This record gives sequence, C-alpha cells and structure tokens, in this order.
Amino acid sequence: MKRIGVFVCHCGINIADTVDVKRVAEEASRMPGVVFARDYIYMCSDPGQALVRETISQEKLDGVIIAACSPSLHESTFRAAAQEVGLNPWQVEIANIREQCSWVHTDRKKATDKAIRIVSTMVEKTLLNESLSPIPVRITKRALVIGGGIAGIQAALDIADSGHEVILVEKDSSIGGHMAQLSETFPTLDCSQCILTPKMVAAGKHRNIRLMTYSEVEEVSGYVGNFNVRIRRKAPFVDWSVCTGCGLCMEKCPAKVPSEFDRGLSTHGAIYVPFPQAVPNKPVIDRDSCIYFRTGKCRLCEKVCEIGAIRFEQEDEIIEEEVGAIVAAPGYDTLPVTELKEYGSGEVPDVIDGLAFERLLSASGPTGGEVRRPSDGKVPKEVVFVQCAGSRDPERYKPYCSKICCMYTTKHALLYKHRVHDGQPYIFYIDIRTGGKGYEEFYHRAEQEEGIIYLRGKVAKIFQDGDKTVVWGTDTLSGRNVEIEADLVVLATAVVSRDSTGELVKKLRIQTGPNGFLSEAHPKLRPVESINSGFFIAGAAQGPKDIPETVAQASGAACKVISLFSRDHLEQDPAIAWVDEELCGGCRICVSVCPYDAREFDEERGIATVNEALCEGCGSCVAACACGATQQRNLSDSQIRRMVTASLGGE
Amino acid sequence: MAKVAYYPGCALKDRSSHLDRSARDAAVRLGFELDELETWTCCGAVPPVSEERVMNLIASSRILKSVRDSGRDTLVTICDFCYNTLKRVNYRIRNDEVARRRVNSYLAEEAPQRDYIEKDDSPWNDYLGEVRVLHLMEYLRDVVGYDGIAKGVVRSFKGVRIAPYYGCVMLRPHKEIQLDNPENPSIIEGFVEALGAEVVRYPYRTECCGSYLSVSSPDTSTRLCYRILTSAQQHGAQAMVMSCPLCFHNLDTRQKAISEAYPDFRPIPVFYFSQLLSLALGVGVEDQGFEKHYVDVTPVLEMIRDGSGRVDTE
Repeated sequence: MKRIGVFVCHCGINIADTVDVKRVAEEASRMPGVVFARDYIYMCSDPGQALVRETISQEKLDGVIIAACSPSLHESTFRAAAQEVGLNPWQVEIANIREQCSWVHTDRKKATDKAIRIVSTMVEKTLLNESLSPIPVRITKRALVIGGGIAGIQAALDIADSGHEVILVEKDSSIGGHMAQLSETFPTLDCSQCILTPKMVAAGKHRNIRLMTYSEVEEVSGYVGNFNVRIRRKAPFVDWSVCTGCGLCMEKCPAKVPSEFDRGLSTHGAIYVPFPQAVPNKPVIDRDSCIYFRTGKCRLCEKVCEIGAIRFEQEDEIIEEEVGAIVAAPGYDTLPVTELKEYGSGEVPDVIDGLAFERLLSASGPTGGEVRRPSDGKVPKEVVFVQCAGSRDPERYKPYCSKICCMYTTKHALLYKHRVHDGQPYIFYIDIRTGGKGYEEFYHRAEQEEGIIYLRGKVAKIFQDGDKTVVWGTDTLSGRNVEIEADLVVLATAVVSRDSTGELVKKLRIQTGPNGFLSEAHPKLRPVESINSGFFIAGAAQGPKDIPETVAQASGAACKVISLFSRDHLEQDPAIAWVDEELCGGCRICVSVCPYDAREFDEERGIATVNEALCEGCGSCVAACACGATQQRNLSDSQIRRMVTASLGGE
Repeated sequence: MAKVAYYPGCALKDRSSHLDRSARDAAVRLGFELDELETWTCCGAVPPVSEERVMNLIASSRILKSVRDSGRDTLVTICDFCYNTLKRVNYRIRNDEVARRRVNSYLAEEAPQRDYIEKDDSPWNDYLGEVRVLHLMEYLRDVVGYDGIAKGVVRSFKGVRIAPYYGCVMLRPHKEIQLDNPENPSIIEGFVEALGAEVVRYPYRTECCGSYLSVSSPDTSTRLCYRILTSAQQHGAQAMVMSCPLCFHNLDTRQKAISEAYPDFRPIPVFYFSQLLSLALGVGVEDQGFEKHYVDVTPVLEMIRDGSGRVDTE
C-alpha cells in the first residue's frame, strides 16, 4: 500500500472558522494508506510548503493530499514543491475544502463531516494514481503577425529583433494602417508619417520579417507551438518581383476610383498604391474598377510598363506555413457616418469624420494640408466638431467610450486654428477625458490659449441649408439650445471592431466580447494573451486605444511570443485519454464527441487513437466509449468508482 | 375585394372623420376594403405604454386578441396615436412574459361576457402578440407598393411641392415601432413621389408640433407649429401632408393663432395623406371633408389636373 500524507489548511479563518480542521486531520490519519496527517494555518506559505517537502522526505511519502482551496489556485504550487524532493507531481492531489465546503456552508459539524468525505475521496484516488511525466511538444519558432498597422509592425519588429522569424500578413497592399492616415499626433504634434515610416521601412527590410501584404489568413489549424496556416496572397496583377515602382502605370490609368486611404476625398486609378510612402511601394490593380477587367478593353498600363510587369492572368496564391505563435492585430474601423441618421446619414457633403479631417490636415493629403471643405473647396470659417458621435449611446449605438476622440478632436480644433487664423472651431462634448501623459495640459492649452469654444452637450441634428451645414445642439452649462450655421462639421465617430475581425476570430479560435473587440485572457493580469494558448492580441482590435498604448501592448504581445520561443519544447499535461488497443472495437464514437479534434481513427489497424498534443483531458470520449477502451490517466473507472463510494460515505 | 381588419379609433369617428372616409375611399380604389372591427374600444391613446402598469395594456390587448380570434393576422390603423399604442402594447405582450401572463389572466376572466369574441370549439388560448399591427402608410408601402399606387393615379400632382410632416409617435420609439428610421425617415417622401408630386425637404419634418401642449400651453404649440410651417414654406412648400389627427389639428386649426401671433405668417394648406391619395385616385373633391379644414385648400386643388384639365373645385 502507498504511504500517503494529508495536509489540512486553515486558510486563516477561511476554512478553519467553518470546518474543524483538527478533526479532519485526525479522521484522515485513520484512512487507508495514510501514514501522516496534520493541519497548518497557511499551507501555501513558505513554511507550509517546507513542511510538505520535509514530511515527504522524512516519512518517505509516495502520495500527498493537500486539503485546501481550489486546485486551479495552488495545485501547481504543491506539485512543484513535491517535485523538488523527488516525488512525482501526479502523486499530489488537492482536496477542495474551501470553495466547495467552508465558503458555502455555515453549519460547522456538517461542514466538517463533508470536508472529511472530500479528503477521503481524494485518498481513494491517490491510492491508485500512477506516476506520470509531461508530454514534450516541439515548438516551431516562427511567428505569424496578422495586421500591418502600428500594432502589427511593432510586434513583428520586436519578435524579429530577438532572432526569430516573423510572417507579417496585411490585407492591404501596404503596411501602415490607420496611423499612416493621420496628420499629427497628440499631444506632442509629431508628424505621424515621420515617426511611422521609419518603422514601416524597418519592417520591410528586416531580414527576419517576411512581409505578405495584400494577403489574408484563410485557415489556422494545429495548436500552440505547431500551427499550420493557409494564407491567401491576393493577385495584384503586377509582378512585384520585377516592378520598380516607377508609377507610370498609375499616371496613365484612365479609371477613377475614390481613395479609401483619403476617405473618398480624392481619387486614384484602378492600378494604384494607397499612398506615396507605401511599403512595399508596389501597385495593385483593383479588379472591380479596372476598365480591362470590366469591359475587356484598355490594358493601357501594360502598354506603358517598360519592363512588362503587368500580369492580367495572375491568380490568387495559397501559401501554407508552419508557425508556433500568432499575434492578432487586425485593427479597427470607425462607425460609418451613414449610420448616424440624425447627423445627415452621410448625405450632407460637409459632414465628415475624424479620419477624413486628418487627411485634410495632412501635408500629403488631397488638399496638401490646407483645410478646404469637400462640397466646394472653400476654406471653412466656422467648424463644428461633434464628439461621442455614436459612442456612449447604449440605446442606439455603442455603449462604450471610444477613448481617443477627446484628444484627437482637441488636436483637430487646434490644428485647424493654426491653419485658419480667423476661423472659429466649436467642440460639442459630453465629458473631456484626458487620461494620459501630457493630455490634460494639451487640452488646457487648446481651451485657454487657442480660442476654441467648448460646448458641453449633445448635438441633436445636423442638416444642410444652402451652402451652410446647420447644427442644432444644446449647451447644458447655460441650459440653452444652440444653433450654429457651420461651414464644416467633423464627427468623432465611434471606434468599432472591424467586420473582418469577426471573420478572422472564427478562423483563429480567439474570443470576442459583446462589442466585437478581441477578448484578453484576463482583463488586468493577462492583457495581451488570448484564452487559447499560442494566440496573442494587440492594438485597437482589443478595444479603443491610442498610439502609445497600442505600441506598448504590441511589445507586450511580442515579449510573450519571445518567452514562448525561449523554451526548447512545451510540456503537455499527461493526465489525458489513452486507448487500450485490445479493447477498442473501432466504433469511432470518440472521434465524433471530441471537441478538440484529438481523437483520430487509424484505418490500417481499425482502432481509434489519441493525438496527445491536442487532447485537453476533458473526458468526453472516456464517458462515451462503449467498451471501456478509452481511459483517462489517473481517473480510471476503478478510481472513479472508489471515489464515488467514498464521497457517499461508504466503505 | 380583399378585406383588411381596420381599427379607426376615436378621432376618426369625430373630428377627423375625413381622414377615415378618404382612407376608405382610397382603399377601395386600390382594391381592398378597410373592414372595421365589429366592436372596438378606445386603445388608450399612448398613456398606457408610458408607464409600467399592466392594467393599462388591457384595452389594446383586448382589441388585438379579438382580431386574432377572428382568424386574421393583420390589423391596419391610421391614427398615429392608435398605431403607436397598439403596436407597442403588442410588442410588450410579445416580449414581456409577466405582462403577457397577467393581461391574459384578465382577458380569460372576462371572456364569457364578451359577445364580440366569436364562438368556436377551440379552447381558450392566450394572446401572444400574433397580430401584425400596420399603419395604413406601411400597408401602402409594403403590401400595395408605391408602384401600385402610381399605377392607379388618375389626377396629376406634377409640380405641386408638398412637405411631409412626421410628428413624433408615428416613428418612435424605433426599437418597438420599426416603421422607418426616426431621424431620417423616407416613408412619406416615397408616398408623395408615388403621387407624382414634388417632395420638399426641410429640417423640421420630425420636430414636435406641441402635441397635447395645445391644450395646456397653447402658446408653446403655436410657436412650434410656426417654426415647422415657415421652415417648410422657406424650402418651397405649397402644402403639408401628414397622418396624425393631433398634428393635423395643431398644424391646420392653429394657423389662426399663428397668424395672430406672427404677422409675417402666410397660411399653408394642410392635408391628410389619405386625402391626397383618394384625390389622386379619382375620388371627388366634395368627398374629402375639406369643409373641416381651417386653411383653404383651393390653391392646391387648382394645381391638380386630371385628363380633362383642371379639377372641378366647386
């Protein structure tokens, strides 16, 4: 018979107040195989763990039961302690007498009796426990980063700098993301392009980064350390390996397509690069607007291309790669102005969103940095900025605060004032939120020195009246309704999760929250990990955030990947399903019930097998197996039978 | 001829009988009959849904149940207040289990005494919100279709500039009503276009007319209506169109008070949508109840033409 030690924890008063811990220890000492039993005030403390270690050595224990809190808290603590003195960790079990006993009962006698039964149950299990060793799983030390915005760029650079290979996948033809669209950044007013482009170039040139722009992840299979990904490289209809990026084709293309990058404020040809600083600086042909693809005639780009890089016959390519970790940084969108019916449904030409205003302010934008309104190109003299357009409105739009708008609207008004000295900016706001280094000072400067009028209240309606755009709002501080005949209105539209993020998460097994943003494993302590191991998250796809926060989170995610890659192999819990091949009848019911695709059918031998790397030890197949061929290690049928008997108080 | 269950409500039996009549005439020309419920009571006129008390839901639930029990699945109504009340009570019955159980226990108790509940062999069963409540505007848009209206038009409204007015309860609250977007609606505009008239777009079409303030604070209502009407006129309107009897009262009858309070005000004819519809479909001018209007509608009628030229306005 085994020599088992039972250690009963007081957990201060958490257990000891409701459970007579001394009696539990005393009763435990009479249980089969138990050679040692005692109580202690805090088993998880250093002295408590020392007690466990010393007793294992002195009493030559080959089984240990800690009667304490939930195994999810301290199972690993005590297994590690036991391992230090040579006891196999799978001989250590937790009897949960806190969450499942003392915390939920008040009657001391009954609770004590229940605690004794819980301990007795675990004694029965431990008597039959086998010594196991963890299953080693290899790691492919190559990372996939999805999304080439500032989050993805930063994560890719950090991982690549540590010496690991990175595949950076971006759906557009260039990396850069929304940050490339911005004019200047708050609160320092650095030029966004100037600080971003060096990073874009670095990512493009890094010897450890394989850039796959104009590409999308199609499918992800496998598990942490061993993912297989299928990536679709969309056909650009240009041979990028020979294209020099001279731009002649773009000049000659007769098609006119509204520029997504310029928020529809300018047009480009059907063959285009989204912006001049693109990385890689190679054009793509937009199939839907290309005259040749639509009518079968034109091919002008092909005629002007001196090196013959145009490839109308090109097709999408599927590339398969093995990676060990995946960072998802798919980015954000803003609520379309067309959704905001009271603000003109996008039908009023001089009602634009914040990103469009960024383009009007940008030196490389459609107006060369001059603020000119879309309808007639006039310089607007009265500009109304509307914050919380779709945010903080749980009844109709988004319940959450989009976080970045208070700051960027202040920046917009300030930059407008710097461009148009006799112009008057107004800002409608609910609250001004300036949580960030230097943010409050920036807001004060705008409010007190720059002549920006802040109106605390919501805007009810915006409509066009002649060449004016009329804004009806309320100023709750004076209690009056306000009507402004504006020349231009800028809406700080809500930051929203992308539709494409919804598609992506289905492929990745990452969870999303109620508003479609990626869910972190723990809101405070595991902010860059997904609940599924091997997946990490970064950027505004996880929730609205500004550039410094995005960069910090991206570096955090990269650090998690690097730490994963620092190990030679991963260890998988061995307490999983196994098959007694003599008994298996090959009915395959286990294959159908397994939620992790871990059960496979071996056609040659006619039996079902277990993929140890995928099995999570949930027990579904064990319960389903009709002939008892599938068993779970350290939870065999005979163990379960004896545990049930003990828990019912039987002999 | 197809019959559609029809709930007129109180206003359409008295002050707004011309709304009722023109709607019935127009329906016949479009090939369906507004089949008035044999017995009906007051719907409650909005207050029922403004508070939590389940007791307030009974009157509307009784009406809706009687429609269901007579084997019909659709109830058409015209008055915006009746529409709002019936539709929202129906929504509550569908979505609030406690209210549904309590309302049905009341209805079950009174059932034997009610003679309008048709006798059949089926056991008593709870009303679960099965009936579809439709505004006549909604029926025209979704069942008849604007194309169907346009086909039946025999008098031309070409060149007549008409300003749609929505008021409040026809579209709100959006979650429960789901008729059109309350901030940027298009249902009346589509209707006006189907008649061949020109739609006037102006900012006040969804602003409040003052509603019941017409009684308790008439000056407020006068001010609000002045803004609505002058805004429409500034944008070129020659006539207003709406469906709500209370809006009609405020925007038509109140023009007397507006003229007294605002010397610059010029009166503008106000129509129910059903009057324009029945006129367009060929019903006589004398059948529109224009004698009930405060503002003379003749200037607009003079612009409407049929095959033989000008419409007889005598």
